[in-house]
Amino acid sequence: MNTQNQNGYMLLFRGNDWLKSLSPEEKQKVTDQWMTWFRRLTDEGKAVAGNPLEREGKIVSGKNRVVSDGPFAESKEAIGGYFLLDVASMDEAVAIAQECPGLPYGARVEVRPVAAECSVASELKHEAQFAKA
Amino acid sequence: MLLYRTDEWYNRISQEELRKLMNQNKAWIERLTAQGKAKPGRALERRGAFVSGTNGRFVTDGPFAESKEAIGGYLMLDVETMDEAIAIAQSSPGLAYGGSIEIRPVAHECPLDVRERELAREEQLATV
Repeated sequence: MNTQNQNGYMLLFRGNDWLKSLSPEEKQKVTDQWMTWFRRLTDEGKAVAGNPLEREGKIVSGKNRVVSDGPFAESKEAIGGYFLLDVASMDEAVAIAQECPGLPYGARVEVRPVAAECSVASELKHEAQFAKA
Repeated sequence: MLLYRTDEWYNRISQEELRKLMNQNKAWIERLTAQGKAKPGRALERRGAFVSGTNGRFVTDGPFAESKEAIGGYLMLDVETMDEAIAIAQSSPGLAYGGSIEIRPVAHECPLDVRERELAREEQLATV
């Protein structure tokens, strides 16, 4: 999937259950590697933002805007943090994701192209074009 | 950080409804931005890849569209409390139609920053 995308890519770090299985030494090692990795990407101008997210959070849903606790702290799907990448192709974004120091321990990285405009907007435009045709 | 979870409910509403919602959404974002409460957010395309395994040897195309859990986009808020962030999420115009919004505090202390400070301190001590 070597598509070009000038809006960049987002890496979503999935899962936070794997951290629990690490010894303090391993945790320290991964942390150091992660720091070095992010700093290098920033120096190279390839990472423009990045943040870890706290484990707890809330979820709002539905017409009645119900608030519930979530996501579950130890989940394979929970998002632990993200990087915003300024690279031009999916291949390059995937290659960077493959360097993630958490991978050997069970972390998963989701790689997503950032949309040029709101996808709801492009959906509408598409529909309008379709209607015109 | 607000993470929008979507199962593409917007494919199931009429063009009229969609247009109305988009105008509401635009006004909502503009108001939050003017109040200094939101920084630019982005939508994510509904395709992508998952990387896992040692050295990232497993690369799979992510089927994101069908999942209710899929992240459709994000908005960064600049507010002080979880309550305020929740109230903003609750005022999102799209919620009436489906999907959900996950609200996550950005970590105050990145474990990497903490470590970096420690290392800097050690270095300083070593040179004294």
